[in-house]
Amino acid sequence: MFKELLKKEFVILDGGMGTMLQQAGLAMGEIPELLNITNPQLITDIHKKYIDAGSDIVYANTFGANRYKLEHCEKSVEEVIGAGIANAREACKDTKALVALDIGPIGQLLEPTGYLSFEEAYDIFKEQILAGSKADLIVFETMTDLMEVKAGVLAAKENSTLPIMCTMTFEENGRTFTGCSVSSMALTLEGLGVDAIGINCSLGPKELLPVVKELSQWTSLPIVVKPNAGLPDPVTNRYHVTPEEFAEYAKEMVAYGVKIMGGCCGTNPDFIRALSTMLSKEQYVERKKHIPAAVCSATNTVVINQPRIIGERINPTGKKLFKEALLNNDMDYILNQAIEQQNGGADILDVNVGLPGIDEKAMMIRAVKELQGVVDLPLQIDTTIPEVLEAALRVYNGKPIVNSVNGEEKSLNTVLPLVKKYGAAVVGLVLDENGISKSADERFEIAKKIMNRALEYGIRKEDIYIDCLTLTASAEQECVMETLKALKRVKEELGLKTVLGVSNISFGLPDRELINHNFLTMALTHGLDLPIINPNVASMTGAVRAYKLLTAIDKDSMEYIAAYNAAKAKKEAEEERKSGAKGADGKAENAARTDRTDLVQAVEAGLKSEAARMTKELLVTKDTMEIINEMLIPALDKTGEQFEKGKIFLPQLILSAQAAQAAFEVIKENMVKAGAGTKTVNKGSIVIATVKGDIHDIGKNIVKVLLENYGYNVIDLGKDVDYQVVVDNVIKYDAKLVGLSALMTTTLVSMEKTIELIKENHLDCKIMVGGAVLTPDFAKQIGADFYVKDAKESVDVAKKIIG
Amino acid sequence: MDDIIISDLNKKEALRYMGQADSDCDDRLSMIMEQCEKKLLSVIRPRYLYQCFDIKENDEGIHVENTSLTLVGNDIQRHLKGCTKAVLLCTTLSAEADRIIRVAGLKDMLEALALDCLASTAVEQLCDKAELKIKEDYPEYEMTWRYGIGYGDLPISLQKEFLNVLNAPKLIGLNVTESFILTPRKSVTAVIGLSKDKIEPAKRGCAVCTLKGTCAYRKKGSHCNV
Repeated sequence: MFKELLKKEFVILDGGMGTMLQQAGLAMGEIPELLNITNPQLITDIHKKYIDAGSDIVYANTFGANRYKLEHCEKSVEEVIGAGIANAREACKDTKALVALDIGPIGQLLEPTGYLSFEEAYDIFKEQILAGSKADLIVFETMTDLMEVKAGVLAAKENSTLPIMCTMTFEENGRTFTGCSVSSMALTLEGLGVDAIGINCSLGPKELLPVVKELSQWTSLPIVVKPNAGLPDPVTNRYHVTPEEFAEYAKEMVAYGVKIMGGCCGTNPDFIRALSTMLSKEQYVERKKHIPAAVCSATNTVVINQPRIIGERINPTGKKLFKEALLNNDMDYILNQAIEQQNGGADILDVNVGLPGIDEKAMMIRAVKELQGVVDLPLQIDTTIPEVLEAALRVYNGKPIVNSVNGEEKSLNTVLPLVKKYGAAVVGLVLDENGISKSADERFEIAKKIMNRALEYGIRKEDIYIDCLTLTASAEQECVMETLKALKRVKEELGLKTVLGVSNISFGLPDRELINHNFLTMALTHGLDLPIINPNVASMTGAVRAYKLLTAIDKDSMEYIAAYNAAKAKKEAEEERKSGAKGADGKAENAARTDRTDLVQAVEAGLKSEAARMTKELLVTKDTMEIINEMLIPALDKTGEQFEKGKIFLPQLILSAQAAQAAFEVIKENMVKAGAGTKTVNKGSIVIATVKGDIHDIGKNIVKVLLENYGYNVIDLGKDVDYQVVVDNVIKYDAKLVGLSALMTTTLVSMEKTIELIKENHLDCKIMVGGAVLTPDFAKQIGADFYVKDAKESVDVAKKIIG
Repeated sequence: MDDIIISDLNKKEALRYMGQADSDCDDRLSMIMEQCEKKLLSVIRPRYLYQCFDIKENDEGIHVENTSLTLVGNDIQRHLKGCTKAVLLCTTLSAEADRIIRVAGLKDMLEALALDCLASTAVEQLCDKAELKIKEDYPEYEMTWRYGIGYGDLPISLQKEFLNVLNAPKLIGLNVTESFILTPRKSVTAVIGLSKDKIEPAKRGCAVCTLKGTCAYRKKGSHCNV
């Protein structure tokens, strides 16, 4: 029915519901949806007024009718939504108007800013969607978080067949409160297969005009706009735009191909009538619908209209430290790899966390969630297991790349449906049941096959990126040019974007970097769009930047100059900071010589790079354990003692701990290189967590740094940690000590429950607790073994328990 | 509401939050503080929202008229004594502040701590500026200091209702978790009483502080200067 309606020149929505209810005497803060049951006549009358004014669709009064917002009232989601839909239906009787199930934001922020999980959000929406099954369409509106909309859209698609319309709320800078951009919204939601997208609330039609204009360039879907009646007066809260002005501004939007219009806060039936009258004289404007090849996170869109670097570092293959991090659930290691690559110049990050012996699905979900909390680069999901792929695609906030599909039937049949369902782009590897062909022509044929199959599934041509496969030059020298030949044909004849893992070319050769960066330049001149490289190798990123400059993609060399001037400035700042640090602490002036006292002094003075450099030198002559036990630990002990006495403060304690940490990193790398693993420095495992419900974790993180420096294997479970997860990890890592932190009086209950569960399971471990609101007495009362007042005391306890 | 711009932060206050004696702040720490200040100021988007309501005492507590909110507890009653109106105020630095603190924590805990404490300072400065605006709007009234939700015996569980009354989730993107933590985290909710009569200077200080007994400053024989 909605699709029928779209055949009309324009579709007219209703205006504000809250505005009308407040006029009728609703107090602020009251739940407006309860009126569906307590005063159905009022609601039906409002709907009727809108229908009389020309609305083709009315939004049922169900905006906030979710489990969370209704938690303290006696009516269920089912009752409130059921009544809401019934009221709207009643109003539509004997008219052609349709009823929309209206769904607004849940009212809690999703992780990483809040701590509502994607899965819980999905569940909340699912309940609303099932309760509203009698509507004609589903509307998500006033959304500011793309992840939340995605949870809603998936819940709608998987539990209903109704059409879906999504509108998000933007500020004047073209971003939502959570930073989501117009292009990211459009790419992501169109990919998920919704039926119309657009903008509502926050601004008036005049202020929304540029936002609408931008949206029109990023979507081929019907555009929806539901503006406010201008901006509210700060003191009276009244909106100032009149219905006539509203319609006049709205008229300008018609030029951008808007198809569906209504009003939001401050609008009433007069506005809809004025809108309806205006639109009756206008004609719908068809837009040119070429949307460029692009991928995005919620806040950053990367258009593939020039070479873009895909960072390859998040991948355990051939990396001992990475493998160890995966086995230890050490997410910070992975996140640091991401940040380094972003700083190095990556545009997109490949994410591969596959390793025998770990739960790849759980790790992938966690990695994707946490990565998108710290970097804004779009991600490329790299896995061979379809189940892992789908799990990652669900929780990804934006439009990702799938790495990869290939020409084998089994691969095409399992991967492409997922790519389509989740609206991703996809890398197609030119190999099939017969393996990799040496000839360019055969690889081209497979590329063509992958393209045709993807098109059959409804995947856009712009979203297919072909990888012509780099073979090792040392083994198959003749194939190098075949790869580039195939690449060129794919690009020119099929018109597809191309992607290539570059580093493989030099395997088994000396001075690999030289080969890599020359091959990269050759590939770029053959038409490579997406080189997969290590962006932290300056010559590789440099080759891409230079190519862009020389081919006049980088206009006026702006990007090039910015990158290299910034690098220069950064180097200077580093040096200044270093010299500042030296000047601040006279002792460090003498730190050039390498002997025992100097490393101790460097740690005490908190000089990171000095400590690392000296450790490197010491390792030539001294034994690892000697450095740890006779230099690092005594230095840490000394700063700990000074902190306790009030001679130094928390900032200096952290600085010193970080200097020691830098020294440990050098030691760890050295041991891995020597093939010894890092087990020898591991004194024992300690599990730490910020308890369920609490998200204050800075104190816990400081504790972590200190404990690690003393050689404990710290399993950091993060914040808002479920009771059972703590127990599971104590068992898994055989931890003899658990550290729990809570910063709110309200979350101390969670701390108590976690302790209870540990005791119920009769685990052989001691429990230490800390946090601003805790007292020694309370710690005892809830069954903790130790109360620690600061990070330093947690080390004392660890020494006592583990040694 | 007009934008409030915060152009420099009270670094001295932030150092205090960091547990640093101001007198012992060396050049290096000062430089870190300055860099962090710059970083923070370049990403935050300070937002605020307030509205003034008549208030009336009833059996349960102090009812904020025309809303569903009743402020309960002895402390808030004392705070609003003699006031006929109350302004509900909320402020936030936006989620971007949380993000850079999170990112900093991966590499450098001192930077994370500095950013965290500077952000706490920034949100207070934002409140100070919002208060000036309120003062302009209601020149004929005396104002109490801002009383935080969750302070004293005013239950923190009122956060959700408080934000709903102001429509804060929709208007400035400020929400609250089920354990009543404001998200984005660097945010404040507060009640300011308005009275036509002179307001008695409030009792503040260690004797009436909720941290009495656990305060780190007191343990070191000092105090926080509030």
